Amino acid sequence: MTKYIIRRLLAAIPVLFGLSIILFAFIHLLPGDPAVALLGQHATPELTAEIRAQLGLDQPLWQQYLAYLGQLLHGDLGKSIITNRPIIDEFLLRFPGTVELTVGALIFAVGLGIPLGRYAARHVQGFGDGMVTVISLLGISIPIFVLGLTLQYIFAVQLKWLPASGRLDPRIAIEYHTNFVLIDTLLDGNIPAFFNGLSHLILPAIALGSIPLAIITRITRASVLDVTNEDYVRTARAKGLSERRVGGRHIMRNAWLPVVTVIGLQVGGLLAGAVITETIFSWNGVGRWTVQAIQDHDYFVVQSIILIFALIFLVVNLVVDIGYAFINPRIRYA
Amino acid sequence: MATVAAPRARRAEARASRGLWRDAFNRLMRNGPALVGLFFITVFFAAAIFAPFIAPYDPIAGSLADRLQLPSAAHIMGTDLQGRDEFSRILYGARVSLFVAVGSVIMALIMGGIAGATAGAVGGKVDNVVMRIVDVMLAIPGILLAIGIVAWLGQGLPQIMIAVAATNAPIFARILRGSLLANREVDYVSAARSLGASRSRMLFRHMLPNSLTALIVAATLALATAIIDVAGLGFLGLGPADPRTPEWGTMLTDATRFIRQAPYLIFFPGLAIVVAAIGFNLLGDGLRESLDPRMKR
Amino acid sequence: MVKNRLLAAGAVLAMVVMACSSSATPSPAPASAAPATQAPASQAPASMAPATVAPATVAPSATAAAGTPKDGGTLVVALPGDMVLADPTLTSDSNSSYVQQNVIQSLVGLKPGTLDTVIPVLAESLPTVSADGLTYTFKIRQGVTFHDGTPLDAAAVVYNYQRQKDMPKSLQDAYNYYFGVVFGGFGDKSNLKSITAPDASTVVMTLGTPQSTFLLTQILPQFGIQSPTALKAGDSSNPDPSKSPYAQGQGGLGKSMVGTGPFMFKEWVPNDHVTIVKNPTYFDPAGMAHLDAITYRPMSDTTARLNALQAGDVDFTQQIAPNDVATAQADSTLQVYDRGSSCNILNLGLNHSVKPFDNLQLRQAIAYALNRQSYVDAFYSGQAIMADNWMPPGFFSYKALGLPTFDLAKAKSLVAASGVPADQLNLTLWYPSNVTRPYMPDPKGEAEAVARDLEAAGFKITFKTEPWATYIPDFQSGKLPMFLSGWTCDWAAPDNFLIAWAFGFQGGKPNAQFNYGPPELKTAFDTAMAASTDAAAATAWGQAQDILAKDLPTVPLVSSKNAAAAKADVMGFVPAGNLTELMNTVWLNR
Repeated sequence: MTKYIIRRLLAAIPVLFGLSIILFAFIHLLPGDPAVALLGQHATPELTAEIRAQLGLDQPLWQQYLAYLGQLLHGDLGKSIITNRPIIDEFLLRFPGTVELTVGALIFAVGLGIPLGRYAARHVQGFGDGMVTVISLLGISIPIFVLGLTLQYIFAVQLKWLPASGRLDPRIAIEYHTNFVLIDTLLDGNIPAFFNGLSHLILPAIALGSIPLAIITRITRASVLDVTNEDYVRTARAKGLSERRVGGRHIMRNAWLPVVTVIGLQVGGLLAGAVITETIFSWNGVGRWTVQAIQDHDYFVVQSIILIFALIFLVVNLVVDIGYAFINPRIRYA
Repeated sequence: MATVAAPRARRAEARASRGLWRDAFNRLMRNGPALVGLFFITVFFAAAIFAPFIAPYDPIAGSLADRLQLPSAAHIMGTDLQGRDEFSRILYGARVSLFVAVGSVIMALIMGGIAGATAGAVGGKVDNVVMRIVDVMLAIPGILLAIGIVAWLGQGLPQIMIAVAATNAPIFARILRGSLLANREVDYVSAARSLGASRSRMLFRHMLPNSLTALIVAATLALATAIIDVAGLGFLGLGPADPRTPEWGTMLTDATRFIRQAPYLIFFPGLAIVVAAIGFNLLGDGLRESLDPRMKR
Repeated sequence: MVKNRLLAAGAVLAMVVMACSSSATPSPAPASAAPATQAPASQAPASMAPATVAPATVAPSATAAAGTPKDGGTLVVALPGDMVLADPTLTSDSNSSYVQQNVIQSLVGLKPGTLDTVIPVLAESLPTVSADGLTYTFKIRQGVTFHDGTPLDAAAVVYNYQRQKDMPKSLQDAYNYYFGVVFGGFGDKSNLKSITAPDASTVVMTLGTPQSTFLLTQILPQFGIQSPTALKAGDSSNPDPSKSPYAQGQGGLGKSMVGTGPFMFKEWVPNDHVTIVKNPTYFDPAGMAHLDAITYRPMSDTTARLNALQAGDVDFTQQIAPNDVATAQADSTLQVYDRGSSCNILNLGLNHSVKPFDNLQLRQAIAYALNRQSYVDAFYSGQAIMADNWMPPGFFSYKALGLPTFDLAKAKSLVAASGVPADQLNLTLWYPSNVTRPYMPDPKGEAEAVARDLEAAGFKITFKTEPWATYIPDFQSGKLPMFLSGWTCDWAAPDNFLIAWAFGFQGGKPNAQFNYGPPELKTAFDTAMAASTDAAAATAWGQAQDILAKDLPTVPLVSSKNAAAAKADVMGFVPAGNLTELMNTVWLNR
């Protein structure tokens, strides 16, 4: 097991290395001078030269790359052109918003997807199965921005059931400890604020969760069907166990594995989807920040976000794979 | 090729594969959802090709005096913020979407194909290096990779095409390589190898055709995501360089500020994107089931 | 000249004040500071106790109708963007100023609701000016304390000005914009030659050359007086503002944004909110804030702002998109503030160093091709007027110039008459990608409309765009041949538009953004700035405007009204076209 983990960790190193080269190239191949970009509207030849020296842009490329790597290893991502604050600070301020949204979307997708998938598997080829298939087809075919705008128009603008944007009513003042609205409100025992935060989360979480919902539904259905045809399930049935017990104890326990793997793979998609979802719902997170940074040509921020998102994606999948290997030792040798 | 037996063997092989394709086609024609998908796609292609004949108005021209008109007999989908006919813009938008999506998938097939075939056929160090690059690209969430590339190359349809291609190419490379490796151990390939077939001959004559089915399915499904990604870039303000170009995602994002006054400007482009994506998804699923009967339940 | 006009206005104001000293309207912060008498050119300003009264001209009907103001409550304000830094001397954007001006006060301010009527605030009275127009003597108001408890005195004022004059190089221009603009530079280059405090209540400023609009520029929040103790403790002049706790708004009350105003800084959570709270010991009881607190929320999305307002998530939105005005007006729970006279211009910039823009007939053709009234109707929902000058109407010496209006046939014939070869009719039109401005609510849409009008007249347009932060230096340095840009007033005088924005000369050379400037224009500008009487100044400004009308160097498009909106129970708000709106008069009728 340890050997497997070490092997997987070692395998991640060249990927990280490649990533750092690509991202370094991204900044340096961009049209224009990073120093001018950094100075923006205040660029004068004097200042530009000064900043170039400060950033080490007058050094040979390989030295600049090594310096960049060194910075990364110290957790220094540089500064935002727009706010002039350290990117890592800004990131940490916004990241909880993205996590809250992503987790909300996952809860929606898993909480609805697994029962739907099981239901469909139990009623194969029936009307219910057909409906589930249609839902999952729509889930992967409707882009987040179309679904998000539609939900927003119907439930916020027209019906006014749910808030249209933001993470919390601006009127509600809460103390920020962790920057997770739902956690901070609970820590302070501020229940109305908690529910207010929750009501803000619903629409964006549904919009973002629609694609994983479709995929999880499909996978659950397929994997339940696979397991149902396995011998031990037939045996269990033959023993006269109730259908419910068969479903709960025997089928789901074994159908879980592929479902969990797929959930792990969804993390990349969720982070990418957050970019669009947060923009639609004015959700203060890393995704909306990414779009702002793109629009402002704040490329140091874009570079850093791509790096961190890729890191998260790699780590989550490593964890999923290792967890998988724990449960299913055969995988280690595959 | 040099042997006498070869032509006959090849013919037999070709006949067998023709049979495989015909079977697949027959299965596809019996697959209801896939036919629905095919229908959607046909509509989509027809709109793109015949836009100049169908469209009642010029998609670029219009007058501010006519802006934000509700759907009516004169403008069945209403008019947009510049007073242009929305229906005509949707039709021409199909052109843009189709051109960029198909172009990007072809480009991705070429890039991913070369990378995957090289990795799968050569193996060893080359395989390792290529697949690590693929890993790096796959680690970056799709739309972010596309965003980064458009930011780097600048706005414009060719740039968008490249960006979307870059998100699909590593997927294709991985699929092709995986399928090549799997095929390598299959009996007829081992047999051909033991008969002394050359490496390139093996690749082009035996392994690639058998890996093709997986790629066709993946490419069809990728067309759906390509259409969504192109619109997504437009939605994020990274659409075509000429802001007048009728591109569905750009049309959507321009309309968001007017969601109260003109919700139909959100509805129609949104519907167009969804229909196109559903079409390719249904066809892709259908192709998978037809090309690999084992998938069918 | 303008100085004289302003001081004259001050005298008029003083009389008005005396006439209406029993007015029941709530007193805007600085208004009460207006001394009862004014002796503009005299050496000995009357030292009288400030009369706590308001000028009669400021009588918002809502306030009068709703009766006695109620104290208490929190006002939630939606701003188009977040505050940039907590120190006004390091910011030059309207979002930052909109918050800061309630906390930090300058020596002088504007009469609420006006664009160019200067009144004393932290000065006891308007300054006395030497005959040569070079020396300004301010009497500093006594008994005022900063929010950290330290007293305001002449030394504190001197410290604040000296600090700006000696700004570290890295903070000049890039952060501290207005000091350089107003005084022509920092350190020895500055036209502010000296600032001294002969005694604890007197400040003397000496200029190198006369600056006729000096006093009007001093109303800017960037010339606000902050507690020297807090500035020093917060490392406010750190060459890197990200390392300055003061600039970052850390530590809360008494540590950052430490001024003298009716509100005090409480906290700033970047990208989330800024909160300021009532100053219970404000020096002017009549200007005492009604609200307990104000929370500012950045909301860049215009639709989200209206949604939030309708839902009651916010009480007040500083800007409302023109296309939302009708919706807000139709909603009985909301009120829309018309800021009245606009203080901005949207302009189609033409760079004369690029062909064919050096051709007068071709420029005229462009002007005739543009259907500007259709822009007013479509993009501003009527909340704008067609521009007929390079400054907004209502400004001192403003002339209606009768600039070309839409006439397609004339445009076409002028294109033909201009003799410009066909290949030069292929033009590149630039617009900014990531902003909306009050004068430009939809840059992309407006660029599309301009392009369509130009193509109808026989031009061929290619679009180019880039973000605001690089767009500005690019057009300022003359890199963009044809571009949409505009100007919002800093101070409401002709020089702010005609010289500072558009056609000023640097080292004798015309502004690089348009590369236009005949010698007679420079002469007119110089004459106007040095004029000793209003009449002489008006004549010279008039000549300058006539030259511009004849040459049509660029095409001014529209002046927009920048509407605000609030819940119907928000009372006492006094709108102003340049956003110098103070919130101490605002109260909630709930």
